Amino acid sequence: MAISFPSTDYFEALKGKMTAQQEKFRRLGFIDTTFGVKVGNNGKARNFVLEFEVFDLKNVREVDAIDLKKVDFMIEGDARVWREMIENIHRNGEADSSHDLNTLAHFGEQLKIVYDDPDGHDKLYRFMESIQKFFDLSSQVEVSFS
Amino acid sequence: MAYLSTTNYLEDKDFIDKWLYTMRTGEMDLSWMKAATEKVKPHEANSRRGLTYRDLDLGSYGFTGVPEKVRGNRSYAPRGAEIPAGVPDAQPWVSRKSEVWAFNTESYYEEAVSRQWNVTTDIPWERLDSVELPETIGKALSQLMTFLTEVEMIATDTPAMWLPRLNPDFIEVKAFIAAQAMDEARHTEAFRKRALTTGWGLMKASPVNEMALKHLRDADSFSEMSVALHLVAEGNVLTMFRFSEYLSPTDVDKRIFRLVMQDEARHVGYGMQHFKYVLENFPEKREVLHAHLDEAENISFAGSAATELTESFIILAGGGLKKENIEEGIKITTKFNLKQMEEHFERLDKCGMPERKQRSKLYQMYEMGRAAAEAAGIKL
Ligand SMILES: [Fe+2]
Ligand SMILES: [Fe+2]
Repeated sequence: MAISFPSTDYFEALKGKMTAQQEKFRRLGFIDTTFGVKVGNNGKARNFVLEFEVFDLKNVREVDAIDLKKVDFMIEGDARVWREMIENIHRNGEADSSHDLNTLAHFGEQLKIVYDDPDGHDKLYRFMESIQKFFDLSSQVEVSFS
Repeated sequence: MAYLSTTNYLEDKDFIDKWLYTMRTGEMDLSWMKAATEKVKPHEANSRRGLTYRDLDLGSYGFTGVPEKVRGNRSYAPRGAEIPAGVPDAQPWVSRKSEVWAFNTESYYEEAVSRQWNVTTDIPWERLDSVELPETIGKALSQLMTFLTEVEMIATDTPAMWLPRLNPDFIEVKAFIAAQAMDEARHTEAFRKRALTTGWGLMKASPVNEMALKHLRDADSFSEMSVALHLVAEGNVLTMFRFSEYLSPTDVDKRIFRLVMQDEARHVGYGMQHFKYVLENFPEKREVLHAHLDEAENISFAGSAATELTESFIILAGGGLKKENIEEGIKITTKFNLKQMEEHFERLDKCGMPERKQRSKLYQMYEMGRAAAEAAGIKL
């Protein structure tokens, strides 16, 4: 059955895939960061906080709003952009070179990286390959869009 | 040979007699078994992670207890060991903790070790077999890689030079610096391999770049080196790697830049935490840090504006050498240049130096650049 995006179920499904592919993520190394994902839709937003520790997604929860002081950074974007990214990953098995996170977010044109502390912001880049590979797991999940 | 042992053991009768006596009689000294050291039993705080340096932060072995001025150890005795008379003075240049320390140094090292990667096997080089880039793009990419190889060669030498100069009690910092030298050697390898796989060979070395890089190598103090290298230069390079990933003409290049940016961001992380640590624990150094920044910003401005780099970016961003390509390339590259400067001041601000903008010539350049970009109709 397809899992709807955005939802905690979607992130939980990626978490399950991540655990199933332990070796790959162990090889990429420690990932210690907590970040927010904000999905905008017609002026409203759904917000999620993802807490990674050691090699795993330890916890994901939906919140009313993301407090930038409590996360390292937040990836924010319109539902349309997230959908395009996930569909692209699904088609290619991984994000192609126009749909990886850094490309989508670089000038804040599609996705936007918002942060309070530049040290927290830099954690996106410290763990970039693990975070990219985490989203790339979307290729293994049937996703529907509400 | 600069150092000669004070004893010629091969000709020292007492030493040779003792060696033979032990062999003959089996009589042992065993005084080392009574070393006046602390007994501890470290445990993994998180068994998924394993036994970390932080788990060893216990009593006389820990990093928390290292004093600001390390006077008790000038040898290679490991921190916490009994130090008998007669160990030589290793003559470390740096024995003040605030000269080198950073919040969470040990975890930057652990992260570095766990996130090592391999240029030879982790990059899907075979995918380049089917890639045929237009000549201008191929040459621009090779020039970018040539430039970055120069950067990474100095970035390998510079931290490595400081290793023997740091007091051995700063084990975790030395480990981080050693890991950084390895990271930079890997970056040199990645960029050299990518330059040659363009098929155009290497392009041209950059005098401005090298002039700027020499400053990093010849810093007078570790703190000066760290401000110039970790905070300013690598901060700029991190923004540059993200931009290069964005511009990458193939997914192989994207992967290279994603992997190098991880290492670079870690080096910047150490730099920021060290800078913060100095400002908080050695406040009288604020003026000295400003003076270091004056010079570091001068060289980083020069390096970032080097012709060999800027023109490659313009071509990669615009997609070629036609008039419309160049116009588009200049727009995108200018946005990147300004973003690079913005992020530099953002970092200093958050580290506790918000006044930097007021006295920085680089900030004046930033404002001038912004005004020029707006006048040229570049949307920022
Ligand atoms: Fe590097
Ligand atoms: Fe670096």
